Amino acid sequence: MKLAQTVLLGLLTGGVYALLASGLTLVFGVMRIINVAQGALLILAALFTFEIWRRTGLDPLLAIVVTTPLMFGVGWLLYRGLLARVRAAPEAMTVLLTFALAIAIEGFMGLIWRNVFRSVTPSYFASSFHVGGLFLPKGLAAGCLTAVVVLGLLYLVLTRTWTGRAIRASAENLQGAQLVGVRVVDVAALTFAIGVATTGAGGSILSILQPVFPASHYVWISKLLGIIVLGGMGSLPGAVIGALLLGVAENVTSAYVSPRWSLVVFYVVIMVVLLVRPQGIAGSRLREDVAA
Amino acid sequence: MSRAGAVAAERAAGGSRVPAWVRPAAVTAGVLVLALGPLAIVDNLYIQTVAILTFLLVVSSSGWNIISGFAGYVSLGQSAFIGVGAYTVGILSKHLEVSPFLLAPLGGVAAAVLAAILGLVAMRARGHAFVIITIAFLFLMQTLALNLRSITGGSAGITLPLPTWSRDLGELPFYYAMLALAVLSVALAAWVRRSKLGAGLLAIREDEGKAAAIGIRTPAYKLIGFVVSAVLIGIAGGIDGYFLTFIDPRGMFDILISVQIVLAALLGGRGTVWGPVLGAFLLQPLSEVVNNYFGTQLGARLLVFGGLLALVVVIMPSGIIPTVRNAVRRWRERGSTVPFIEQPVRLATVPAAPAANGQAEAPAEPGARAAPDEPAEPVGTAPPGESAARAPASAVRVSEADREPEPERVPILEIRGLSKRFGGLTALDGCTFSVREGTITGLIGPNGSGKTTVFNLVSGTIPGAGGEVRFSSRRIDQLRSWERPALGIGRTFQITRLFKQLTVLENVVAPLRHFSLRHLASGGTSGAEAARARELLDLVGLGSFGDRTAGTLSFGQQKLVELAQVLMLEPRLILLDEPAGGVNPSLIQHLADLIRQLNREGISFLVVEHNMPLVLELCDPVVVLAAGRTIAQGPPEAIQRDPEVLGAYLGGDGSATERLPRGPAELQEDAPAGPRGPGNPKGDAPVGRER
Amino acid sequence: MGGGVLQLQGVVAGYGGGDVLQGVDLRVDLGSITCIVGPNGAGKSTVLRAVSGLLPPRKGTITLDGRAIGGLDPAGVLEHGVVQVPQHGGLFPSLSVRENVLMGAWVLRRDRSLVRRRYQRVVETLPVLGEWADRRAGNLSGGQRRLVEFARSLMVEPTVVLLDEPSLGLDPASLRQVYDLVKLLNEQGVTILLVEQNVRVGLGAATWAVVMESGRVRLAGPPREVLDNPEIADLYLGGTISRTGRV
Repeated sequence: MKLAQTVLLGLLTGGVYALLASGLTLVFGVMRIINVAQGALLILAALFTFEIWRRTGLDPLLAIVVTTPLMFGVGWLLYRGLLARVRAAPEAMTVLLTFALAIAIEGFMGLIWRNVFRSVTPSYFASSFHVGGLFLPKGLAAGCLTAVVVLGLLYLVLTRTWTGRAIRASAENLQGAQLVGVRVVDVAALTFAIGVATTGAGGSILSILQPVFPASHYVWISKLLGIIVLGGMGSLPGAVIGALLLGVAENVTSAYVSPRWSLVVFYVVIMVVLLVRPQGIAGSRLREDVAA
Repeated sequence: MSRAGAVAAERAAGGSRVPAWVRPAAVTAGVLVLALGPLAIVDNLYIQTVAILTFLLVVSSSGWNIISGFAGYVSLGQSAFIGVGAYTVGILSKHLEVSPFLLAPLGGVAAAVLAAILGLVAMRARGHAFVIITIAFLFLMQTLALNLRSITGGSAGITLPLPTWSRDLGELPFYYAMLALAVLSVALAAWVRRSKLGAGLLAIREDEGKAAAIGIRTPAYKLIGFVVSAVLIGIAGGIDGYFLTFIDPRGMFDILISVQIVLAALLGGRGTVWGPVLGAFLLQPLSEVVNNYFGTQLGARLLVFGGLLALVVVIMPSGIIPTVRNAVRRWRERGSTVPFIEQPVRLATVPAAPAANGQAEAPAEPGARAAPDEPAEPVGTAPPGESAARAPASAVRVSEADREPEPERVPILEIRGLSKRFGGLTALDGCTFSVREGTITGLIGPNGSGKTTVFNLVSGTIPGAGGEVRFSSRRIDQLRSWERPALGIGRTFQITRLFKQLTVLENVVAPLRHFSLRHLASGGTSGAEAARARELLDLVGLGSFGDRTAGTLSFGQQKLVELAQVLMLEPRLILLDEPAGGVNPSLIQHLADLIRQLNREGISFLVVEHNMPLVLELCDPVVVLAAGRTIAQGPPEAIQRDPEVLGAYLGGDGSATERLPRGPAELQEDAPAGPRGPGNPKGDAPVGRER
Repeated sequence: MGGGVLQLQGVVAGYGGGDVLQGVDLRVDLGSITCIVGPNGAGKSTVLRAVSGLLPPRKGTITLDGRAIGGLDPAGVLEHGVVQVPQHGGLFPSLSVRENVLMGAWVLRRDRSLVRRRYQRVVETLPVLGEWADRRAGNLSGGQRRLVEFARSLMVEPTVVLLDEPSLGLDPASLRQVYDLVKLLNEQGVTILLVEQNVRVGLGAATWAVVMESGRVRLAGPPREVLDNPEIADLYLGGTISRTGRV
């Protein structure tokens, strides 16, 4: 029973993780940028949700309607203002830049919300469903469901709209996209903005699952990197698979070994996968081959 | 006090026309100030503390610079070595009654071991993958320190013994220890920069594939570089731990320290020796100012450092010192470009390799084309006396043991059944041909016939698939790309791959025929190799270009530099990939003469070219590839008349039902009238009409 | 649609390593099928890239019917009705054939009914697209992909189609289909500017022939005369054109 419970919790958590990781992998797939600031943006969105809930009492899962466009705007500005300027720079410098952003955002959050744990506690927060002997925490279940819905919307946008097609086309074949008239810089900004927008929804969900404070973004970016590396950087289905697998692995480690070691799973996954099979489960090749 | 040192450093690094004594004098002055200064402020503990932290930053940043500045492998995990050093000292001092100062070197050892392990595995990743691995590594270390409570004390940390000297000395022992380490680390960085190791690391940063192609054993270099970058940081970490007296996982493995290390080097000038020093002296005081102004609000500090790093990356990614240097250089060089064409072009004899190499000065005798006593043919306006004064010698250091008994018979290069696919595309399909020693063999064929793929497989730039490549009867297709130059194979690239940010001389000195640890330590651009490099530059006509940055040369000039690079390896066979492509026609003749002369001296050539007049004039025999296989081999006149070759170039759709004229023989049968001659496609047959 | 001209004058362009085009003067009559041939390195494909906006010229002008299009980005060139079908890799492998073709109308995407109508028309011209519509483009063979790329270019009802080595890697049957389509389009008034390394096939379909060598136009004229020129073969195998201009 304990195993089933652990796995169930892991799957639900994995569902949420899938949404959180989707933006990161999307941006990488199209633009080959690893946005290390995704964790910080996630916490930022969670804190926005907290503010909204504190002032208006609006349910955090409904606040997604506000936080998603808000984060979209933040992403757009970040790209246009900063990232667009380093398009020609070597990859490592772009990672440094997003890292710098992460730290700056952490500082900003610290100044405004101070280094105190914040959490959103709507009425259903602490209770659980009882299904067949297993406990389903209501917050987690609602969060997972919301995540799935948002992921579904993202999927629809990518496959049914012109914008989505342009994004997927640019990811595969930049020159081909240019030749049909797609303006590359616009697509880049749009993709990045969408990637950051997912943290809007993700952050709102996160706010009811765990207490957050500014420096917790390191934990989150580690988890997200582990997920997309395992699933294959650039692959959305890969992110889902990786999220589910690691959600379960994390929970199992936490329950059977110790919660303190659960984060190590992610670090180990990052290092092992990048070295043994850099394209992960479902992704395209990440690194160039060192000469023969 | 600290500012004076920084200013002196900047001045010392800024100009190149400054008299030679200025830089060492400025450095000595700076060090003296730093060494004697504290005696005046022995009571001011605060300034001593700031200075100690500044020196620590200098050590860390200089170390970081070696792997991330010189080699280009950006690491965000360098502060882990500080933690490792501190914990080593902390743990050992719990069990040993020795002064932590004496334990600090062990911290360096621990850091070196860890760096070696990390380096062995992480060096296979590049670009952002490497950065992420170093971040994961840092976090992993922190988690281990937190969780392995029995060893590290967990979050409770370790308390080190208190200092044993009298209060009157204040923090001075730490001050001098850190200062010594700082001086040492800068000296180390300077020494690495000047050595062959540094030259190799820089080459790896500029173009790792090319570095491998000229014989640099990249994995070894990267590993050594990584270990060297970590050692002093480990020692400094040990001293830092003693200084702080209390160490804990959060403080010791703080990623913010890593950010400061990176920021200091970036700000001052990544890849320069003094950049990290300048950056450290700017950043640490800034950090103090921020601390004092904003108090304990952690957020402010983060915002400032994050913002500063972002700004530096976006606006001034190369840092202060290189930016200033470039501005000065551009101002000095304004309006003074010397076009290559105006330079007198002198062809001298290819110089002998330095005798220090231990090989006999035997001239090679590669068969019929050898003429070791033939005087050099000067081309251009060179005074004949100058070139004749140089004793003709061989570029090829072929000792008795290496030479083939009958060079005419055994091919120097054999390609047998070579196949290669890229995804769904078949580039080579059982390609077979050989190159006889002493020849200039041409390799031609239409677009997509596989010529460049053959080159890439021979030089090892891409991994092979099916078939064999033999060099002097020895199979080489399984060797790594950096192992092949040692055998005597050199290769140029269709689009030149020079190390653009290095000077021309540094580029030519970079190739390595043999690898040895002792050799790594020797000077990069001085000594026997540099002299030979200069001679080779003279040979190709670029003698006065040695100090120019390679990226500023014209395309044709770059090709000549690449050729000089190849010659440094004393090759027996050179693969030339489109040597005339994109080159000014006036230079093409010069190139052809150079190739011919080198060939007379014993070097065999395999030349891919599209410039048909050049091929027909220069090469004999000529091999023709089409659709991944050899369709013809022979002297140029025969190739020119071969109907199959003609067909391959001019096309036909291969359909059996099409009545297309296939070649001259057929044409001459069909042609009712009209001018005769090779390749006359006249005829009444419907040409290319699809039905 | 006679009368107008696509003209290049004194175009110099390159990739930074060296100029591939060294002063190209080229005149393409609208309504023609003009084929550029020449040895490797002559700059044939580079001419197309300069026209379609992938490689802005350093010097010289490119005009279409008097309107300057040199230096515009590909989206801008598209607005003038000039489409390029690249040599390889123009498709999006993980998108379906239908989606690939639809992407050809990216610049028209706001008008949904127009896009639908155009798609219908394209499928009528090339019925086999209907069969393949839901197949993943990456699963098609080389010849099939070339046809899809071609079809995609028709979505904007272009004035000029730039074809880069359409025969490369094609089997005879696909080759025939491609050139049938070329002729069909031309009959409907579309100007075709193509680059071919298969001289006989290319000049066989063309109404005007252009020979390039070393970044310049060496010879231009009716295809039969150019083909008959004994120096053509020499050009490919080491000779040079003795006379420039019209044969």
